[in-house]
Amino acid sequence: MDQSYRPPVGTPVEDLDTPCLVLDLDALDHNMDVMADYYRDRSSKLRGHSKNHKTPAIATRQIRRGGTVGGVCAAKVSEAEVMVHGGIPSVLVTSEIVAPSKIERLCALARQAEVIVACESEANASDLSRAAASQGVELGVLIEQETGLLRCGVQDPGQGVTLARRISELPGLAFRGIMSHQMMAQPSSDREERAIEGRRIIQGVIDFKDALESAGLPVEIVSTGETWSYDIAGEIPGVTEIQGGTYLLMETAYSYMEDFQFAGRVLSTIISTPREGVAVGDAGIRAVGAMKGVPAVADRPGVVCERLDLDHAVFRVGPETSLRVGDQLSLIPGQQDAMVSRWDRFIGLRNGKVEEVWDITARGCHS
Amino acid sequence: MERPIFQPLGTPALELDTPALVVDLDLMEQNIQVVHSVFDDSNAVLRPHVSCHGCPNIARAQVAARNAQGIAVSTVGEAEVFCQAGFTDVFVANQVVTRPKIRRLCALAHSAAIAVAVDNSDNLALLSSLAAEAGVTLGLWVELDAGQARCGVAPGSDAVDLARAVVAADSVEFRGLTISEPTSPLSDSDLSTPDIAGLVQPVLETARWLEQTSTPVPGISIAASYDYIQASAIGGVTEVQASVYPLGDHQFCRRRRELSRAARILASVLSHPVPHRAVVDAGHKATGPDLGVAFAEGIPGAVAARFSAEHGILDLVGPATARLHPNDKIWLTPYNLSLCVNQYDYFRAVRHGRLEGFWPIASRGRFD
Repeated sequence: MDQSYRPPVGTPVEDLDTPCLVLDLDALDHNMDVMADYYRDRSSKLRGHSKNHKTPAIATRQIRRGGTVGGVCAAKVSEAEVMVHGGIPSVLVTSEIVAPSKIERLCALARQAEVIVACESEANASDLSRAAASQGVELGVLIEQETGLLRCGVQDPGQGVTLARRISELPGLAFRGIMSHQMMAQPSSDREERAIEGRRIIQGVIDFKDALESAGLPVEIVSTGETWSYDIAGEIPGVTEIQGGTYLLMETAYSYMEDFQFAGRVLSTIISTPREGVAVGDAGIRAVGAMKGVPAVADRPGVVCERLDLDHAVFRVGPETSLRVGDQLSLIPGQQDAMVSRWDRFIGLRNGKVEEVWDITARGCHS
Repeated sequence: MERPIFQPLGTPALELDTPALVVDLDLMEQNIQVVHSVFDDSNAVLRPHVSCHGCPNIARAQVAARNAQGIAVSTVGEAEVFCQAGFTDVFVANQVVTRPKIRRLCALAHSAAIAVAVDNSDNLALLSSLAAEAGVTLGLWVELDAGQARCGVAPGSDAVDLARAVVAADSVEFRGLTISEPTSPLSDSDLSTPDIAGLVQPVLETARWLEQTSTPVPGISIAASYDYIQASAIGGVTEVQASVYPLGDHQFCRRRRELSRAARILASVLSHPVPHRAVVDAGHKATGPDLGVAFAEGIPGAVAARFSAEHGILDLVGPATARLHPNDKIWLTPYNLSLCVNQYDYFRAVRHGRLEGFWPIASRGRFD
């Protein structure tokens, strides 16, 4: 990583060595400001997900621009460590942490920052409590609720109320509330359609909150919603935090979210034009990812990515356009976090020049 | 950077912090032995293509094995890493077209034999002039398109013209003709592999044409990971580039049954919320399922069904519904090795079930 490409600030984009991971800083700042403006004067706030960018500098930039709770989400303990080391004062770990060694690390982290973790079972709550009490720290706990992802989480509010009561009795733990994550089954750019779907799913979360409060358990945090529902979850009374991540860099699979611009790209160079109408680029699946299909080609009408091999992209070039060996193309990924997790650095561009270079310090933090 | 816990050597594999990319050294060494022995009776040497694992320790085991000659990589960045790790014969089996990259290549050529593929005359002119400027000689392989529909000059007269231009150019040395790995789609239902003999035919014909017109062709290098046995037996082929074989992966080992799955991901169960579903701590970032999902091993009735960014979801039937409690371990074989390795910084090298070392994946992420 230390030896991977780091161009000097001020380098013109056409002089960049490729492939490299670039950020359009105007688009990034726009996306941050959409969130900052939306949440600034609301009771609900954004808790941006750091799993998408894995970069404390970017998390800090969003927090400074406003609209946030002043902290981030992280998917893994090691990712949370990087965020805290990078100066983020509050981290919600959105996965269940069950390995004893990882629970110990989580507790150690709680000495340096506010640490909140997802939980779905009494056995796990007991393990968390034992470790926190013995280290003399407090872990915040949110109960994860299953609302359609078919992944982790408690299945019904009754089960959740029992668990919450247990958590609130355990030493070393503070029961803080609930969290749930949802995908939109049928993406739509129509806000009304998104609103209907968002309200339908999130109502289950609100019902759970009501059940807890009826049982005398105060619910301080209701964390739900994400990029596609940021402007819906944020308006539902009772929701306190939204977990957005995709909005920052964006991806073609979320192109229906027209409020946000494509900020994250892989810059690629044409290395061969072997036949009429065909060009081959120097970035393939290893660099861009192919979890949601081939990338879109930015700002080059008539050029379409037809296929990604491991280290090459094959482009079809229409008759009205021409590509030569050495030309650069900018590729917009199908899925941004699957792209970012392959790279060690972001190269931030503005007005055609390098303005910032950020190390992706949590890249590879799977554990 | 991956932030592994550097557990003590001797730690049982099943106690490793997860997710972990684990290589079984006995199986790896056995795989290397099996593949390299095939070349005992061949006129060709084996050139290991090491981009798929990016690990100098593994590459050293390959180069030290019988019948090996140098290594191949995909990028200049990878070549830099392997030269720094002591490798002195490196073929960048790709086009390198920009000035900064060609200059980096030339810098390496001061202390190693560096070769690169070329498929057009403008690129040849640039390689030649920058090599002359640096005072080095670059080895050049003329890449042919033998049906891969990617890079490469067409076999026949175009290739002959380019090869002659290489011979005539300064500061470069004509190494011969090459073709890259066949890219025919691999589906799980069709276990056939590409017909390598058919692909090589136009290359051999082009070589004959050159030789008949007094342009000797020093070598023919073909990438044939899946068909290394067939490729080793083709007369006229001087080297075979092969990747994947030391470690294997799901798509490879289903077709190459003489080889074992030596690299696997150790994952832990996070959740078993309903009887028919368990969730593990390795998602797509830790398994690389771009081309196909990892394969769950060893638990009858457990099937790896889907991978979201941070979670792997197992569908469970029958006896598996009563197993896989939080913290239980499961082994996953990556579908495609290089897309999995691409996400880690270390292999956990294990022998007889115990940790023997953390082996850096030194060229990970070096797409440059």
